[in-house]
Formats: sequence, structure tokens, C-alpha cells
Amino acid sequence: MNNLFKYILFGFMALIFATGDISAQGKKTTRLQVEYYKNHDKMEMLIATLIAKERRYVPLAGAMIRFYSVNDTSKALLEELVTNDEGKVVLKINDNSKIFYDPSGIMTFEVEYGGNSSYKSVQRQISVKRANLDVFFFQKDSIKSIEVNASEIGPDNLITPIQGLHVRFYIKGTFSLLDIGKEKTDQYGNARIDFPVYMPGDTAGVIKIVVKIEDDDDYGTIESRGEINWGIPVKVIKKERRGLGDTDAPLWMVYTLIILLSAVWFHYLYVIYMIIKIKLAR
Amino acid sequence: MMKNEHTLADPFNEKVEKDLLAHLTSNRRKGRIFVFVLIAIILVGLFAYYRQLRYGLIVTAMRDYTSWGVYIANFVFLVAISLVGSLFSSILKLSKATWSTPLTRISEIIAIAAIMCASIIIIVDMGRPDRFFNVLIHGRIQSPIIWDVIIITTYLTISLLLLYISLIPDLAICRDKVKNVAKWKRWVYKVFSINWHGTPEQYKILHKISFTLSVMVIPVAFAIHTVTSWLFSTTWRPGWDSTNLGPYFVSGALMAGAAVIIVAMYFIRIALNLKEYLNDKLFDHMGKLLVMLSLVYLYFNINEYLGPAFKMVGVEGEHIIELFFGKYAGMYWMVQIFGLILPIVVMIFKWGRRPLPMLVLSFMILLGAWFKRFLIVIPSLQHPYLPIQDVDESYRHYIPTWEEWAITCASFAAVLLIITFLIRLFPVIPIWELKEEKESNSKPNQK
Amino acid sequence: MKKRKIKQSRRKFFAKTITAAAGAIGGIGLTAHSCKSKSEEHEKVTLLSQDGKLVQVDKAAITPASPAEARKGIPGKHFVMVVDLSRCRNARKCIKACDHHHQLTPDRPYIKVLRMQDNPASSPYWMPKKCFHCDNPPCVKVCPVGATFKRTDGLVLIDNHRCIGCRFCMAACPYSARVFNWGKPKPQKTNHPYSPETSIPSQIGTVEKCDFCPDMLRQNKVPHCISACPNGALYFGDQNSDSVTNGSETVRLSTLLRDKAGYRYLEELGTQPNVYYLPPANRLFPFKDAPEGQSS
Repeated sequence: MNNLFKYILFGFMALIFATGDISAQGKKTTRLQVEYYKNHDKMEMLIATLIAKERRYVPLAGAMIRFYSVNDTSKALLEELVTNDEGKVVLKINDNSKIFYDPSGIMTFEVEYGGNSSYKSVQRQISVKRANLDVFFFQKDSIKSIEVNASEIGPDNLITPIQGLHVRFYIKGTFSLLDIGKEKTDQYGNARIDFPVYMPGDTAGVIKIVVKIEDDDDYGTIESRGEINWGIPVKVIKKERRGLGDTDAPLWMVYTLIILLSAVWFHYLYVIYMIIKIKLAR
Repeated sequence: MMKNEHTLADPFNEKVEKDLLAHLTSNRRKGRIFVFVLIAIILVGLFAYYRQLRYGLIVTAMRDYTSWGVYIANFVFLVAISLVGSLFSSILKLSKATWSTPLTRISEIIAIAAIMCASIIIIVDMGRPDRFFNVLIHGRIQSPIIWDVIIITTYLTISLLLLYISLIPDLAICRDKVKNVAKWKRWVYKVFSINWHGTPEQYKILHKISFTLSVMVIPVAFAIHTVTSWLFSTTWRPGWDSTNLGPYFVSGALMAGAAVIIVAMYFIRIALNLKEYLNDKLFDHMGKLLVMLSLVYLYFNINEYLGPAFKMVGVEGEHIIELFFGKYAGMYWMVQIFGLILPIVVMIFKWGRRPLPMLVLSFMILLGAWFKRFLIVIPSLQHPYLPIQDVDESYRHYIPTWEEWAITCASFAAVLLIITFLIRLFPVIPIWELKEEKESNSKPNQK
Repeated sequence: MKKRKIKQSRRKFFAKTITAAAGAIGGIGLTAHSCKSKSEEHEKVTLLSQDGKLVQVDKAAITPASPAEARKGIPGKHFVMVVDLSRCRNARKCIKACDHHHQLTPDRPYIKVLRMQDNPASSPYWMPKKCFHCDNPPCVKVCPVGATFKRTDGLVLIDNHRCIGCRFCMAACPYSARVFNWGKPKPQKTNHPYSPETSIPSQIGTVEKCDFCPDMLRQNKVPHCISACPNGALYFGDQNSDSVTNGSETVRLSTLLRDKAGYRYLEELGTQPNVYYLPPANRLFPFKDAPEGQSS
């Protein structure tokens, strides 16, 4: 951040002393990507990623990003945030009273990077409708299934099911999400897939299910999660072992070594004792 | 006070004492030059080791893949040599081969010198000798290296005990008879002869513990070289992955040990003027013994190569081809022919068992034995399961650097220096045992 | 004036980031963002974890595990790698990423891409090879001082502060996975003390090898070679959860191995490697020999 200050200062000085050669054509192109994301805690956020064209596109850190809510007539500043090392900023937008809604409940945001002496300015608009995604688990006889319900939140919190929405189902792994299927919602906003058989869970057999609407034109990205103990419990061998590859030797090896070595070294001691006896003999 | 009741005024005894103690007081120029040369070689080796400590093992020709080199080959060789101690002070003694009595002390001295240098050379091979004590702090007894550390200590101890107890009566003789030497030597004789007066009780104890140790040393000696072979056979490398390796190493060691004794005999009998004791008859005996040991080794050698050469399985086959026809074929066949088959053939004949031919053949066997260790260690490492690719050319070959040769030569010089020092200090042939033998021979069946 | 303003905005930014977005962000995953301030003790790092928690921790807390901690392993995990030989075209990006991350010189990489040919009649193929992190590791069994060790999460690591440089492990490894610091290693840049989990800094006279980047695994990120592969030939994952990922796609390990006839190299040696190979059938690329003298 101190560097940012330096750059601004240098840029400022350059502007003063430059002979006018520095113009828009010397500035580097920037790109802004904005994503609406609602996580499983129903927390809504806007994620903006700023990249700039150096030799190739790289994240631009320490840049000021402005978030506005707009409608036909007005534009309200929501927040100013500075990008991190990955060129990203995250703005939480739940319960923000400054946000405008149009009659059908659509929110429109404008995200802007103002640019500076070396980077071009850039702005982006995004419109989303609020929606909910909920996970349920059903078991009938031996068939286990995961069901999702997707619904739109209209003005005055009016809930209506969404039909024809693509929902993806995942199992949460250590490094990534394992895709287990996708389905379209029916007229009731429901989508259902069968639970995969023989899926390992954690030690208690618990599996974390993640369902997502991904980058939808109307609803952005919405995620929901559920946990269910349908997995096969993983046996974690925690027992301290004594093997050839362990820190501690197998006991038979310890005993064998002790017996062999004591047998030999006992004789050495005996010989030394006898040598002393020779010395004392008359 | 200093009277030796046991050996009073016997012409044989007087002559033996005079002959065998003579070298302790002499100080010849040739000997001094010899020691000087040895020290010079050791100093060069020390300088090479200083360079290795300073720059790391990069000064050697070892690299990934050929990660063990002449140091390990030399270590195996020195451990092999050290086995000779057990051969003479135990196997031959217990089998009542009395002709070998004059050789017991030489063999014990060689054993001690070799095992000491073997343990030094294994430290030289370590990448971090400064962390040697990690072996004690973090030692895992599952590792064959720890077995080796334990067994080397055990074998060195028993070798020292064996040498010492057979020295006690002779030290007493030195204490009583050798006056014209440096003060510290007389101090050594006095202190280490621990009040020995040759009383029947003292003899009784001496025989008892000497017998105990003779029995004890056999399993320990076999263990030391078998464990050394396990350093290799516990891996999957071609040529090492063999159940034959233990007896193969032990038999090879006994052969090399006998050859070393012959070389030592030859030079000691000239340098110390002991032709009468280390006589041609003894060479003849040693020749027969060496033929026997070489035949045993030949048997294990055939056993070691026939199976893999018949099957030609994967990398094992590559390894065999490399040895029989490839890069190492010259060395391999030289070793097998001049270091094994030729000596056996020549020594079968009586004329081949005279001192000079025996000396030459023993040298050939020793050279063969050293290069055989080289052939066991290095080509195996150059045939891993996965191909060697994308590496510097230096990773594909192994030609030892001058530092490695200097350190190897220094280890030989150190062996010789320790032997020379001990021979100068002590009677090289056990006087009291010769006397005893003479007595027991003359008493029951005098011819 | 200006400076103060920026500082203020920075504080504001962090306050926002912490309170905002207490959730997993699919694309972002885990974001480490360090805030550099003048005094070291105030150095804080904001972590947005996959588990939907946004935490601020002392930078000291994410220093790599100490040699003693590094022996334990990450609880409940058993890491595996799958190499799809049909997708490798010897791009060597994995080697580059590994060399960069571990600050290795190109002459002694941890990863090799070997030109293999199983028999004269079959076509040659490229085989990326790292440490196999065997479950019955020959190297660990022979180590006299326990400098190389097997962890509960399947990893085989080296503590180069304990290694005595005997190179028995190199002789024991049938896969030639290990490299040795024959001379003084090239100076390496790091702010952290040595950890077996980072293998940095290297030490003269000690052995090294591929470590599966446990410093990354601790952050729930895959090793560098995995994300570097342009063809998705390398998969990594946790055997216990039966899923592996090559960065872009995630698949069930058991399905992958079953459908593509996964095998382990030299299974007959009984080392039980944790690296699986998928046969070079239905290849993505025709085999092209590397130009002469290619080394990096």
C-alpha cells in the first residue's frame, strides 16, 4: 500500500514534468470482471477482479474499486475498496439500504476502476434478481436422493419457484468439488438427483453436498450446502505402529538385538574380569 | 623380582626370544623411509579430505545414480580383510592346525588395522560427518547401517581383546628382556603385562579366556561381513538383490584375508629377518589354505552369476551384459581370471606354493578382490529400473577423482602404518605359544 | 495528507474484508492476502477459507511446520497422485513450476519426464515421475537416523537437519526419486525457517526429493506441478474422499482407476506407491521426440 502511494506520487510528478507525451495511448488496458455470489449462509456479495495487460493479463493489486447501485435515474455510491494481491475485492451487499430495486425486483450495480497515469479506467454493469436455493435429502427404501428447490425473491419478499434453472450438484473434497450431476428445475422449482453409491465420507460417514447455480444470467451464482451421513465412514488408522519403516523398531527386533548383543558383550566383560584376575593372581 | 620361572635356561627358548625380540630394538633406515612415505601418502589423503569437507562430496565423481563409489567399495574391501583375524585366531586354532601359530598375531594386527580404517572410511563417505552423533541420538535399529555400526564396534572390541590376551605373556617377556628401548615402550610393557609371571593359575585363566574368545569371534566375524552384505542385499538393485550375498561376501573375505597374510608374511620375514620362523613350509601350508578358500569363493561366485545370467530378467540382465560384455567387461574378466582362476590353478602345484610365486599370486588376488568390490558397488547403481535421462554426462559415468584415489590410498597407508607401528612395538610371532607348542610336541611323542 | 488517507482506506478495506464475505467463494477458494505493516508483530494475513470462514491470523501462524510437527501429517488424509500418460506431451511445465517453487537448479530437478518405451513394437510415451510416496517405503526402512519418514497422510518427507548424508536411501529407492546436494546448494530466498514441508533451504551433504508440497496441502491447495500442467495430465487428491482433481476437473479416484485401467509402476516390488499411472492409450497428442539436448 505504501508502494501504491509511491506510484501515485511518481505518477503525479511525471504528469507535472512530462512534456505531454504521456497520453491515453501509453496507458495499459485493464479488464474488470464482476460476479454476484450468494453463499450457503445466504450472504450476498459482489466479487470484482481487476486485471491489467502487461505482457499478458495479470491481477492488479492495490487498485481502488468503486461500487455503485444504479437505476434509471440515480446512482448511489455503495463502497470504495482496494484490490488484494489477486486483483480481487469482495463487497458484502446484504441489507444495504442504499441499493435500488426496479419494479420486478432487479438490482443493478455499476463497478468502476478509475484508472491512473499508467492504467486505463474501466467499468462494468451487472444486474441480478434475488433468489434462494435450498437442499433436501430424501431416502425411500434403498434409493437416496438429493433435491434442490430454487425460488425467486420478488418485491415485498414474494417467493415464486423458478423453472428451467440449471443446478449443479457437488461433493466437497479437500481440494475441489466433485461433480456428481446436474439437473433442470421443474415447474415447482425442484431438481433431484440420485445420491452416488459407495461414496466415502469422513470418519462418521458425513458427506458435504454443495449445490450451485453457476453464473446464471438472471440470478448470478448461488450456492447452498447440506450435510448427510450417507457416506461410508473412513477408517483412519491412528495406531502407533512398530515396523521397519517406523521410528520405533518392532519389539521382536529389539529383543533379538538385546539378547544377541548382551550375550556377546557379557563375554567381553567376563574376559576383562578374568584379565583382572590374572593381574591379581599370585 | 623379575624371574621367568617357566622358561628358565632352555636353549630353544633363548634362541626364540633372541630372534623374535631382535626387531624391537633395531632401528633401520629403510624402516624409517617406509614410515615417512606412508605418512606422506596419508597427508595427501588428509588434504583431499579437507577439500571434500570444504566443497562437499562434489569433489568426488559420485552423483545421483552412482551415489556410492570407491569409498564404499574400499570399505567393503577393508572389512573383508579384517575377517582374517578370526580365521587364524579362531578357525585354525580350534581345528588344531598348529602350523598356523606363528601367524596368529600378524592376522590379529591386520584385522585391527583394517577394521579401524574401515570405520574411518565410512565416515569419510558421509555427506555430513559433523552429524555422526545423530547415529547415536536418533539411531533406528531397523536400518542395516545401524547394524553395521553395532557389529563393527563389537568386532573391533573382540579383535582388540584377542590381540591383547595373546600378548600378555609376550609383554611380560618384553618387560623382562627388552631394555634398550624408549621409556614409553618400557612403560607399555610394564603396565600391559599386568603382573604376568607365568604361574600355572595365570596360564589356566589365559587358556580359558583365549578359548572363549576364539569361539565367540566366529559368529561376530561372520556377522560383520554378512551385515555388510546386507547393506546391499536389502535393496532391489540388480546384482545386490540376492540371497547369496552373505556367504559370497564371507567366502570372498576369507580368501582376500589369506592373501593378505601371505603378502604380510613375505615382507615381514625379509624386513625382520625371520626366515626361520616364517619358512617355506608355512608358505606351502598357506598356499593350500588359499586354494581351498578360493575354491569356496569360486563356488559362490558361480552361484551368484549363473542364475541371473541364465534368466536375463530386466535390469538384472542389463547388469549381467554390462559385466560380461559391456563397459565393465575388461575389469570383470581380469578380476575373475587373474584374481581367482589363475591363482587357483598355479597354487595347486607345489612349485606354485613357493614364497615368490605366492607373493605375486596373492597380490593378484588382492587387486582382484578390491576391483571385485568396485564391480559389486558401482555397475549395480548404474542400472536403475527407470532409465537415466535428462542428466549431465557426468551422471552417467563414474571415474573416481584424484581426491577419491588419494583418500583410498591414504586408507591403505593408514592400515600399513598401524600394522608397522604394532609390529615395531610387539613381538610379531607369539613367543609363548611357540614355546608351548614345542613343549607339547616334545613331551608325548618324541621322534 | 495523502498518505494518511490511504492508510485509512486500507484499514477500512480490511475491516470490510473481514466482516464481509464470511463464505466460501467458489472461484476464489482460499485467498491469502498479506498486509505489510512496519512492525513485524502486526503482520496479519487474512484468509478466506473454503469452509466459509474468513479469518485473520498472525503471519507466524502460517510459517511452515517445524521439523517435529512435520512428522505428524495432516489428520484424516491420504494423498494420492494420478498421472494420465495419454495426456502428457513433455511440456515440462510441471518441472518448471516445481523448480521455481522449490528454488532448484535445472540440473537436479525433483520431477523428471522420462521417455519410455515398453517394448520395441509399442510407441514410446512420456512419463512424468516424482517421488511415489510409497506406503511401504524402502528409503524410510533403511534410513539409519529417521531423517526420512512416513506420515499418517501418506507423505514421505525428509528432515535435512537430521540427514547424515549416507545415501543409503538413494541406493534403496527403486525409482531413483532422490537427489543429493553434492556441493553447496545455490542460495535460496526464504523468510521462513527450514521445514521438511517446504524443503527450503537446501543443505550441503543431504538428500532431497519431491515432497508433494505439504505447505500447499495445508492450505487445501494442490501441489504446484498439478496446477502447472497445461494438459491436465496430473491429478491430485485425497484417497479417503475418493476424489482427485487436475485443477480444472474433479473425478472419483476409483472410477478413474477402474475405467482407465490405472496401475502403479513396478507394483511387483511391493512398495505400494501412492502415484498411479493411466496407460498411454487414446492419446491426446502424437508422440514427438524432444529436440536434442533438451534439459529444461
